[in-house]
Amino acid sequence: MSNAKLISGICLLSFLIILAITGPAIAKAMFPNENALGIGAYPRYEPPSIKHPIGTDAGGVDAFALVLNSIWPSMVIGLLAGVTATFLGVIVGFTAGYIGKNVDTILRTFTDMVLVFPVLPLFLMMGTYITHWDLFKMSMLLGVFGWPFTARVIRAQVLSLRERPYIDLVKLSGENTFEIIFFELLPGLLPYVGFSLAMGTVGAMFTEAGLQLIGLGAQNLSTLGAMIGHGLSRGVIGIGLYGQMVVPAGILILLFLSLNLINMGLEEVFNPRLRTKIDVK
Amino acid sequence: MEILLGNLSRMEGAKVGTQLIVAYYRQLFGLDRPLYIQYFLFLRNVIFRGLDFGPSFMAYPNTARDLIFHQLPWTLGLFTGAMLISWLLGTIIGVFMGWLRRHKLTSLMTGITVLLQATPNYLLAIILIIYVGYLLKWLPPYGPYDNGLQPAFTWEFIHSLLLHMVLPMLSLVLVLGAGWAISMRSLMISILGEDYLLYAKARGLLPFEILKDYAFRNAMLPQLAALAITLGTTLTGTYIIEVIFHVPGLGDLFIRALGFRDYNVLQGIVLFSIFAVLTASLIIDLILPLLDPRIREFNE
Repeated sequence: MSNAKLISGICLLSFLIILAITGPAIAKAMFPNENALGIGAYPRYEPPSIKHPIGTDAGGVDAFALVLNSIWPSMVIGLLAGVTATFLGVIVGFTAGYIGKNVDTILRTFTDMVLVFPVLPLFLMMGTYITHWDLFKMSMLLGVFGWPFTARVIRAQVLSLRERPYIDLVKLSGENTFEIIFFELLPGLLPYVGFSLAMGTVGAMFTEAGLQLIGLGAQNLSTLGAMIGHGLSRGVIGIGLYGQMVVPAGILILLFLSLNLINMGLEEVFNPRLRTKIDVK
Repeated sequence: MEILLGNLSRMEGAKVGTQLIVAYYRQLFGLDRPLYIQYFLFLRNVIFRGLDFGPSFMAYPNTARDLIFHQLPWTLGLFTGAMLISWLLGTIIGVFMGWLRRHKLTSLMTGITVLLQATPNYLLAIILIIYVGYLLKWLPPYGPYDNGLQPAFTWEFIHSLLLHMVLPMLSLVLVLGAGWAISMRSLMISILGEDYLLYAKARGLLPFEILKDYAFRNAMLPQLAALAITLGTTLTGTYIIEVIFHVPGLGDLFIRALGFRDYNVLQGIVLFSIFAVLTASLIIDLILPLLDPRIREFNE
């Protein structure tokens, strides 16, 4: 599989994952004997220096150490929500596509209903009511509203795969429904599932960061979005600590870029017409 | 609303007469009726009394409708403007990116658009604020217009308004436009593989004619459909941008109303958002057959 986009996306993503996992350790190594994340560890709003590459924030915490420690929670939220959304989407999509008829109609209507839900206002509202956010709650909520797209994609594919001759053959050879779904249909749809997973992850992280940015997300979570949001509300741009905005924003953008590249790569894998290499004179 | 009044009555419960006030307000807001009747009353007010969402709490006695209509033009202007500009630009760029897909410049452009498209607009907004607004000081970083100016049809006001709108627009247009360019590019490429283009070429048509009449027209249909869908669904996408740039639009109103637990205003905005999505999908269902003869012939 020589697909430049897919490969570069996976490389970038693995680099970021490694950074996310080793981040806390790097932060520890930079400040060997100090608790760089403790509130009031250093003076507040220190300008960037060799010791503090992007300065300190409103709580006197070293911002760079905070960034290194925030990548992992951001990723986990996205991934958990993405997995939830994909799981729900695959179940609904398969049920609708394989059983068909009335079940399909009902599920499709329901999917369309959830699809037009204005998710952002909904989350803004929930953000003010749910007082004790944790990582798990946040990602579950994001996941619960992220599945309709997956369901539609999977349903459409199942509908077309179901009619293929090899499925008739499999039915004749006596496999039951469960076996058909898991051993005959699902493997062919894996690129789509991967695609949906990446999409769901991007969507969840996008919403999470957006919520944090306007100060209505989970206040006690230390994600990259939360860091940008806190910076915005404390006005760090105004006093020249640009790094505290640009670095977390940049990492988020790279994360989105890598997932998008993987998405586009996967799309090219299952839709050969999109490949630019193929010559169509 | 129940919770709000409940708190009030508990908090002030000791004082004489407060219960009377609470009862009065309960009746005023129709809270003494069962929930389903409240819902029907709400629907009746919205449909038959000209979008009457009830009074706003934070700006009583102004109605929620007045507040919403007061701020709606900002959101509509910012969003529709950004959407149309980005769609036009993105489609044109995308056509050429698809047509000249083996050109060196094109692969550079593709790289840029992929990067831009992956960027969430609010992060781009922050980066624009920092570099253009604070470091280069070319444009005002936030606010709807200069402090001290009153909305009026004067050159001074319009000039200031336009200057202030450049950055929010830019952060929306760049991201959205990149998305349009990418989708148009892949549409073009998938159409370039069709047999009828080969035939057109064999008939000796000029490349420009093929591009204009054969490739572009067919690639347009899905792109137009996508425009209508996005026009509805991403209305809420500007909310965060509004908050970042302090633009007094619906997003700004929504956040303020949340702070005050102003349910009537919140309900109104959510209803508007859903309404926008449904209207857009209705329009697309009506318009698409006009553009695409295939849908008209077979009628699904």
